[in-house]
Amino acid sequence: MITLTNLSKIFRTELIETHALRDVNLQINEGEFAALTGPSGSGKSTLLNILGTLESFDSGDYLLDGKSVKGLSDAALSQLRNEKIGFIFQSFNLIKDFSIYDNIELPLRYRGLKAAERKQRIEQALELVGLHARRDYLPAQLSGGQQQRVAIARAIAGRPRILLADEPTGNLDSLMARQVMELLEQINQQGCTILMVTHDPDQARRAGRNIQIIDGQLHDSTMYEPLATQSA
Amino acid sequence: MSLSLLLKVMLNRKVVTILLLVQLAITLALLLNSVLLAQQTHQQLNRPTGLELEETVLVQLKPTTPQLRTYPLLEDLLQRQLRALRNIPGVVASAYSNQPMLTQGGNNNNLYDVDNEERSNIPGVPTYFVSPDFFKVLNVDVLQGELPQHSGFLDSETQPGVVLTESLAEQLFQGQSSIVGRQLNLGPVSAVISDFYGQRMHGADEVMYNSMQVAPPYSVDWGYTLLLRTEPGQTTAVREQLTSVLQQVEPNIEIYYIRSLAEQQHQLYRNEYGLAALLTILTALMLLVTMVSSYSSAHFHVLKRHQEIGVKRALGASKRLIFIELLSESWVCTLVGAVLGIGCALILNQALAQVISLPPLNWWLPLITSAILLFSVTLATWYPAAIATRVSPATATKAL
Amino acid sequence: MEQFIYYLKVSLLSIKRAPLPYALTVFILSVGLGVFFANATFYYQLNSDPLPGKSDKLFFPMTLIAPYQCNDCRPPRALSYSNVQKLAASDIPSAQAAMYSSAGYARLTIDQPPTPARVRVTQRDFFQMFEVPLLHGSVWADDNAHNQVILSRSMALKLFGRTGVVGESLVLDDRNFSVIGVLDEWQMLPRLYDANGRNHLSPTEDIFLPLETGYDLNYLSNSYSQTYDDTDYRQLATEGRSGALHQLQYWVQLDTAAQQHDYQQYMQSLAEDEKAAGRHPAPINNQLVPMNEIVDYFGDDPGDIKAFALVTLLFLVVCLFNASHLALNRYLSNQYEFSLRRALGANRSQLQLQMLADVLLMTVFSLLGALLIGYAGVSLMNALLPQNSLFSTWDLTLITALILAALVCSYLVTLYPSLRASFGSLNQQLKE
Repeated sequence: MITLTNLSKIFRTELIETHALRDVNLQINEGEFAALTGPSGSGKSTLLNILGTLESFDSGDYLLDGKSVKGLSDAALSQLRNEKIGFIFQSFNLIKDFSIYDNIELPLRYRGLKAAERKQRIEQALELVGLHARRDYLPAQLSGGQQQRVAIARAIAGRPRILLADEPTGNLDSLMARQVMELLEQINQQGCTILMVTHDPDQARRAGRNIQIIDGQLHDSTMYEPLATQSA
Repeated sequence: MSLSLLLKVMLNRKVVTILLLVQLAITLALLLNSVLLAQQTHQQLNRPTGLELEETVLVQLKPTTPQLRTYPLLEDLLQRQLRALRNIPGVVASAYSNQPMLTQGGNNNNLYDVDNEERSNIPGVPTYFVSPDFFKVLNVDVLQGELPQHSGFLDSETQPGVVLTESLAEQLFQGQSSIVGRQLNLGPVSAVISDFYGQRMHGADEVMYNSMQVAPPYSVDWGYTLLLRTEPGQTTAVREQLTSVLQQVEPNIEIYYIRSLAEQQHQLYRNEYGLAALLTILTALMLLVTMVSSYSSAHFHVLKRHQEIGVKRALGASKRLIFIELLSESWVCTLVGAVLGIGCALILNQALAQVISLPPLNWWLPLITSAILLFSVTLATWYPAAIATRVSPATATKAL
Repeated sequence: MEQFIYYLKVSLLSIKRAPLPYALTVFILSVGLGVFFANATFYYQLNSDPLPGKSDKLFFPMTLIAPYQCNDCRPPRALSYSNVQKLAASDIPSAQAAMYSSAGYARLTIDQPPTPARVRVTQRDFFQMFEVPLLHGSVWADDNAHNQVILSRSMALKLFGRTGVVGESLVLDDRNFSVIGVLDEWQMLPRLYDANGRNHLSPTEDIFLPLETGYDLNYLSNSYSQTYDDTDYRQLATEGRSGALHQLQYWVQLDTAAQQHDYQQYMQSLAEDEKAAGRHPAPINNQLVPMNEIVDYFGDDPGDIKAFALVTLLFLVVCLFNASHLALNRYLSNQYEFSLRRALGANRSQLQLQMLADVLLMTVFSLLGALLIGYAGVSLMNALLPQNSLFSTWDLTLITALILAALVCSYLVTLYPSLRASFGSLNQQLKE
């Protein structure tokens, strides 16, 4: 699903160069639920951004679904994000002028789906996150947990192959956090690959795989399989 | 992004949207009406006058001593001046007249067919007292009868013959065929000539009624006019000599002005021209203000919504889409403003028509002016929209 | 005070932080105010009352005593000499003067080059009625013909190079006249007594001549004259006095409502008598128009200034909307700072004081801009609509009004945004 080979990212200023990621090799398979952990400033977000094609990288390669994303145009990258990747953010990032329904519809519009199909998918997604009754609310009228569930609905309505979640429960209390985690597990069980950045060791443990990143380098703890044997 | 969504967003930002709409509407209303006024002035200046505007020059002057203003010295002065003008190289013909053409009001009289005073009486017909070459200077066509060859006298027992312009003859005699010799209150009709534009009447339609009698004027207390027609291309050279030639003939004169008929016509519509120019400048300022406003509104929007744009980018909106989305917000706003503006323009048009003469709106002018408005707004939004496309999609993942 | 200076400093600082939006706001406000002010100058001057307190006591009586057969028509715009004689027989008015405008050439001696002069041919009450200030000498002793002229200050200076010229003589159109009076600086604006010939926007006359002398010497009216019979208008001295040659303006001063009522009745009886005598063929239609309504009566209000007034007012409104829009953006950008101040304990009234400092600064800047643009606008309008150029002066009232307008506009522009900024929810803003 995702293959990173010798991927590096360097941030340059006039005075110094910082290696945010150094020769990262990573393989994530279809249907995995992986947790990405690490101290702040370790490069978690950078890695997540690169995986989501939100940021570029300096060397190495990134294959998504077997195809390299290197050198793709802005339009092609946008399409890739829109069709294959779903995002969940720590601060939900719902568009506050839009209703719940409109928020979920946005990526589907970008894809150019017909109204009927959009409607069907939004209904399904709302059903899944249990917010069908609130479809016409504005984000500000919902609790944090509910907002995050809307964000999840928005992310999955486009039926992405992979879901990238950046501390999805970071702004939620424990009860809400548990609900969101259960929702993510449910989505994973339906076949969606999930990569989740988290600080919470409990959550990391619940994921099938835990990838640690320290100073831009990966330390894969569980389910580690050397690249050489990886072929299927 | 869909229209309904754009409208929803605009409705959510009520105050800002209303501010923008009101000013777009008023700008369009002003733009429309000043274009209308400019167009009207242009038409007035291009209306056929029946005169050779560029080649005809007129001198408005007055003798400064009472003796020179009374006959027989006046007659002598007129003849001396005409002779001197004829001798200027490049002058085709010269004549005097009690008043110039293309003026606001002037000397006029009521005129009627003595056999039918009740029906035919026309008040306020411009009355010219001229020398025989007057018709040669104006280069008018003779349609009926013969032009008088010699000067008569207004104070004599027999009234000098009257030359009428075509539309005046038509109005006086209502299509009767032979009108030469018919008696008018001022004298018998001697000829009918093609129309020319004499006086602009206060609040009246622009008609070409003029009557002429070949005789020295009653009085020159209001000054008189020397007219001359030049060879094409000679006008400037002739004009440069006029003052000194006339001063040489008689130093006791005051020359009010020397103008070509084209300048005279421009002078006649000076007010309209001035107002149209002022409105045009004002409209340009207003477009500028609207552009500043569109720019700052879009710019602010982009700054304020970095995060939102980032999220949209993360959700798969390409740079192009973000650019078009921002522009189309401006477009929708402008179009709504334009629709309101056409309404405002109608109201303003009626309000202005109360105090100045202004043609009513036509159907295509709103389209053109809306397009101008749309173009200006697009121009102003372009840069902020381009900035918006530079927002990195990674902005979405940064916590504020 | 010290506190307020601090607020001014803070305002300046916040301008420095984002100078472009502030400059744009000031620019737009200045343009709006400047354009409005330029036009308001003309509008105010053109519609100003040249004789406050008196303009409703001076009347122009008009009658249809003329050999003019018409139904439903208004009286001629001017009176004939005989009309005036009949009206002047009444002793109801406190003052009355007939007049018209003409032109002549003046010089000191016959061998000098002539100076063109605007001439007002009038009667002695003219000066008292229109409060004309006399610098030297006196006006005519009576309304008879005199070879005596009264000069305007500028004409005296032009001809003699000084103003104390009472008793000196001059040549007007080759006839000798003695100077009996010199006026002080005087420009009645608008010159409403000349409104019937649409000349009320032009400058004052240079030379004043007795009415009877003007008629004796055949000075023709150069603005409006009309004959209703076969009177030869060149024979003012003879036919002009008896025939239906209408060229006279006539003004009467009627101080009280009773006088006005009596005068109207007098005009009515006069018209009835004339009708009975067969000299008034048309239906009676007398008009007694007060000076402050005379322009409206003749329907000669210059529409262009009115039209432009409407348009500039709209423009000002647009600029206000626009500037407040810009200011709102600016305040919203600074909202975080506001919230922070409030979190640090500033109360709303202290914040409002800060706004007041902002308003004052905005007023100063936009006022300067408006004065510049206003001046440019007035010059432009003088060039494009030269017939109004006499009405382009600024006086204290106008400047004060502009300062007030700038203050009000700055306040309006700042008010809504500041309310938005200071009444927003504190909590939410800090979180954002």
